Amino acid sequence: MMKNKTKKLTVTLATMMALGTILSACGGNNNANTGAEATKAPATATEGTAANPGAPDTSKEVKLKMLLIGGQPGDYDKVFGELNTKLKEKINATVETEFLDWSDWTQKYPLKFAANEDFDLVYTANWALYNDQALKGGFLELTDDLLSTYMPQTWEAMPKVNWEQAKVDGKLFMVPNNNVEVTDKVVLYREDLRKKYNLPEINSLESYATYLKTVAKEETGITAYGAKPADGWKWHELDQATLEQNNDWNLVDANLLPLAYKLDDATGKIFNIYDTPEFRELLTYYKDLADNGVWSKNVVSNKNDVWQDIKAEKVSSYAQNLGTVAANVSEMRRDKPDVELAIADLTPGKKKIAAISTQNGMAIHATSKNVERSLMLIDLLQNDKEIHDLTMYGIAGTNYIPDGDKKYSAGPAAANYTGFSNWGWNSPLNRQDSAYPVEADNMFNSWQSSIYHFPLETFVFDSTPVKNEVANIGNVMLRYAIPLEYGLIDDLDKGQADLIKQLKSAGIDKVQTELQSQIDAFLAAQK
Amino acid sequence: MERGFKMKQKQHGFWDDVKKYRSLLLMLVPAVLFFLLFAYIPMSGIILAFKQYDYTGGVFGSPWNGWDNFKFFFNSGDAWRVTRNTALYNIAFIVVNNVVQIFAAILLFEVAGKWFRKITQTVLFLPYFISWVVVGAIAYNLFNFDVGTINVLLKGLGMQPVDIYNTASYWPVILVVVSAWKTLGYGTIMYLAAITSIDTEMYEAAEIDGANIFQRIMKITVPNLMPTVIILVLLAIGNVFRGDFGMFYNMVGNNGLLFSSTDVIDTFVFRSLTTSNEIGMSAAAGFYQSLLGFVTIMLANYAVRKYDKDRALF
Repeated sequence: MMKNKTKKLTVTLATMMALGTILSACGGNNNANTGAEATKAPATATEGTAANPGAPDTSKEVKLKMLLIGGQPGDYDKVFGELNTKLKEKINATVETEFLDWSDWTQKYPLKFAANEDFDLVYTANWALYNDQALKGGFLELTDDLLSTYMPQTWEAMPKVNWEQAKVDGKLFMVPNNNVEVTDKVVLYREDLRKKYNLPEINSLESYATYLKTVAKEETGITAYGAKPADGWKWHELDQATLEQNNDWNLVDANLLPLAYKLDDATGKIFNIYDTPEFRELLTYYKDLADNGVWSKNVVSNKNDVWQDIKAEKVSSYAQNLGTVAANVSEMRRDKPDVELAIADLTPGKKKIAAISTQNGMAIHATSKNVERSLMLIDLLQNDKEIHDLTMYGIAGTNYIPDGDKKYSAGPAAANYTGFSNWGWNSPLNRQDSAYPVEADNMFNSWQSSIYHFPLETFVFDSTPVKNEVANIGNVMLRYAIPLEYGLIDDLDKGQADLIKQLKSAGIDKVQTELQSQIDAFLAAQK
Repeated sequence: MERGFKMKQKQHGFWDDVKKYRSLLLMLVPAVLFFLLFAYIPMSGIILAFKQYDYTGGVFGSPWNGWDNFKFFFNSGDAWRVTRNTALYNIAFIVVNNVVQIFAAILLFEVAGKWFRKITQTVLFLPYFISWVVVGAIAYNLFNFDVGTINVLLKGLGMQPVDIYNTASYWPVILVVVSAWKTLGYGTIMYLAAITSIDTEMYEAAEIDGANIFQRIMKITVPNLMPTVIILVLLAIGNVFRGDFGMFYNMVGNNGLLFSSTDVIDTFVFRSLTTSNEIGMSAAAGFYQSLLGFVTIMLANYAVRKYDKDRALF
């Protein structure tokens, strides 16, 4: 009797385990199948559009799935719950969002496409793998027909040049944001410390070095300059100011290759930035800073969030976009009013580069089954005042307090709705933070006249023919360039020579030839 | 008649066995399914190593490109260095970790006191559950130049601080020690279980014959542990060309100054491909590692077979 029971139990247990395995495996298989089926879907969708250009049919309710970058905000359920009620009314659809956290989105993002997961809309940007995924076929091509039919408001409001800038190989894969931004980097620093030591105004590399060295020498417990090279980026914000902006250069693909052209060079001649006297000069500048203890000796292993360290008064300065440091300034004024921060442009008077429209945007997944409704959703996000306000700033009175039509101030729960890529639908409807520092605004306005447009602005490098070389060059930059820049190698000449030699053996010449021929073809086509 | 009966019995034999061991077989099913689904079926993905992957074509429809995906690895000039590093680190881990674990297991076994043993076991086991990310952060707080615990101590004692994060030669030692620390508890428990299953009569007999504690350990415990050691080492050897990515990446990160002595195949491939997302090229690197691993384990197994047939894996 007893024995029988045990036996039965064993059999049941074993069966359950077996079933569990089978079930979980089925889940995996299913995904693959839907992926394969879904491949055919967009084709039908596009045909449907061509045949029926009239009012879109929204009689059937659909559920959309959206991918955004960033952490899920605390008030997601409230805000998106409200959004869904409104969407149900307007386009008979609801949307569910998945957030790819800042810490590992670069790995997860391409996987979502490679695994062909089921989603409809996705945030994308020139810095967030737009070209790469577009060339690999991850996004649905957007035709003028599709856009004018399903996004009438956006079609109306968006300047035509924005669409042009978002094209890859002559095809459009993104609904870009509608917003002017400048990509030039500025530095954020402690104005109270500058005053304390009676230092000159910071407006050049020299005055900045003076500030950094004084802080490093006089202030114990504060690191003068904060950087985070441990994150694997190969080209840093400060380099952008000190080398690119300072010399009016532009790197073609900053995180892949050390190749640049001069902004005003109409022939678009490419050169290796590491093999220039300007870079050698910069190395001396950096080495001097490093030797004076401006940054930690272990800077390449530091993984701390630099802004959090500044806020905790452990770091005195860093370089970033104007918009980001402006937000930092207002955050500090709100949370720690006794600490005085300021913003400085190290390269005033140089040419400024406007962000092209692909700085932020939304795309449709190539295998989405709800193309029409997805486009309609982007239309509303970008150009419907009510929905734009809700998705950009959260719930009025809680997350933000509206101030007229153009401005807002942080609400009591502002922190619960922020920190993710809702910039994808930036538009002229954006409100400005009333606490936005005036000086940042002034700086931005003073730049407007220096914004420089150049023929290669929208050039995109297709690295497929030289992918082996590109992979190895990235590795060389990390291994030889980063320690050299941060002054960790004592013999600068030898370090630079080593770096150039390694780049040569990694195949930089081949990449340069390929890039030059693509640029030549691009420029020839523009004439 | 008799012959027919025999045949019938034979035919029944297999199904009788199936019926007799049905619960055991049923318990085997999950493992078989697991390997079928997660090891054998995905193996067809190896073809990606020879393809230029694009989303529209998928795994099977993408165009072939021959050996192109392997080029980046062998053209880099680093292939030999990272392969050598991977193998040497893993061999060091296998040797050091096993010796330390066996030592700890014997110590724990010989030391009397149930409570002491249990508590020690738990404490030793703890590091196993700490994720590499956290270990990396702990290491940074210990080793960094400006405010690291070690350097603060050194400075307090009036000595020169050591710049650990900028000196490649310290790292092989650090990594081996950290790996031993982290796996100690897990291995100790395995070996302790093996020791406990050794027939106690042998110890009693040895004690009567006047063997001292060292003789008992060297002549009874260690020889009886050998089969377990061989199996575990054989299993580990199959992975000698796979670097523990979590460990190397979190301990060393993107610190280029340390790559000469800490770069393993996995971190090298990760760094090369993390911005370009070439799935075919990652598949090629994985294929290279699997091939090396396969060859090594066949050779190791062959060697063990020659030495003692019963102790080989297959």
